Amino acid sequence: MNTPTIDTADWLDAALAAAGQEHRAAYVADDGFTARVIGRLPAAPTLPAWRRPVIVLLWLLAGAGAVVSMPGAFDDAFRSGVALLVGRPLGLADLALLLVLCGAAAWTSLVYAARAN
Amino acid sequence: MSSNPISDAKLIARAVVHDDHHAFGELVRRHQSAVRSTLRRLTGGNIAYADDLAQETFLLAYRNLKSFRQEAKFSTWLYRIAYNVFLADARKMKEVPMPEDADGELLAVPDTAAPSMSQQAALNIDLERAMLVLSEAERAAIVQCYHNDLSHEEAAHVLGCPVGTVKTHILRAKQKLKARLGAWSPQA
Repeated sequence: MNTPTIDTADWLDAALAAAGQEHRAAYVADDGFTARVIGRLPAAPTLPAWRRPVIVLLWLLAGAGAVVSMPGAFDDAFRSGVALLVGRPLGLADLALLLVLCGAAAWTSLVYAARAN
Repeated sequence: MSSNPISDAKLIARAVVHDDHHAFGELVRRHQSAVRSTLRRLTGGNIAYADDLAQETFLLAYRNLKSFRQEAKFSTWLYRIAYNVFLADARKMKEVPMPEDADGELLAVPDTAAPSMSQQAALNIDLERAMLVLSEAERAAIVQCYHNDLSHEEAAHVLGCPVGTVKTHILRAKQKLKARLGAWSPQA
């Protein structure tokens, strides 16, 4: 009992303590209560299973669209970036290898996304 | 195989992070008895009404699970929600339905000073009836401290009032109960 300021010797205190003990010992059977509560819970928001490949594809399309619409800007920025990193201008063979690598990465992520779903 | 049950904290984390209804269901299963019996006490034994309030309590707990900071026990947090749900509904209804036998007459007369098992049961019944004369706040303080075995500090947290107020409610409740159950006093 957690009522130290009350006179613990008094009969009413003992009666309340006994009633409290009885109350805690008495288990209220579930009888479908939990199921009723769960039935009233709001449904969890779910996205469709095809969302990930579609999102990846949309990003790829958006990227390709941006490159096509502003070819000069991307080409310049890309060549300058590569030259800065590798210390020499980008050749045709380097560009071809890079394209193959990018394509492989895109297809790998698409396949991974499809498998994960 | 280990039979250790998953802790409340882990179930709460699952329910919050993954919106896991099964985890929350387990929490409901664990605490439904305590919450429902507390509300039964608060509503003066109205089982159907208490169960409706208990459902509202758990739905509210689910919606606010993210705000549970683990500073208090989960059960204490639930008692607080249950009490607030009860108070809000009682205010809406103006009064909590009471059984018809909540009259003003002095209850029961024991045969001897030391109560036997059957007398203890009779005393408990009279105590239940006498609890109905208490104010909502007094009854809530008794329920939290004696029936739910909370400390004054925990009860103050549940009831949303200072510790001193809880002590005052208990003192006044006991005075009223003593007056009503005077026949059970050993001095009577």
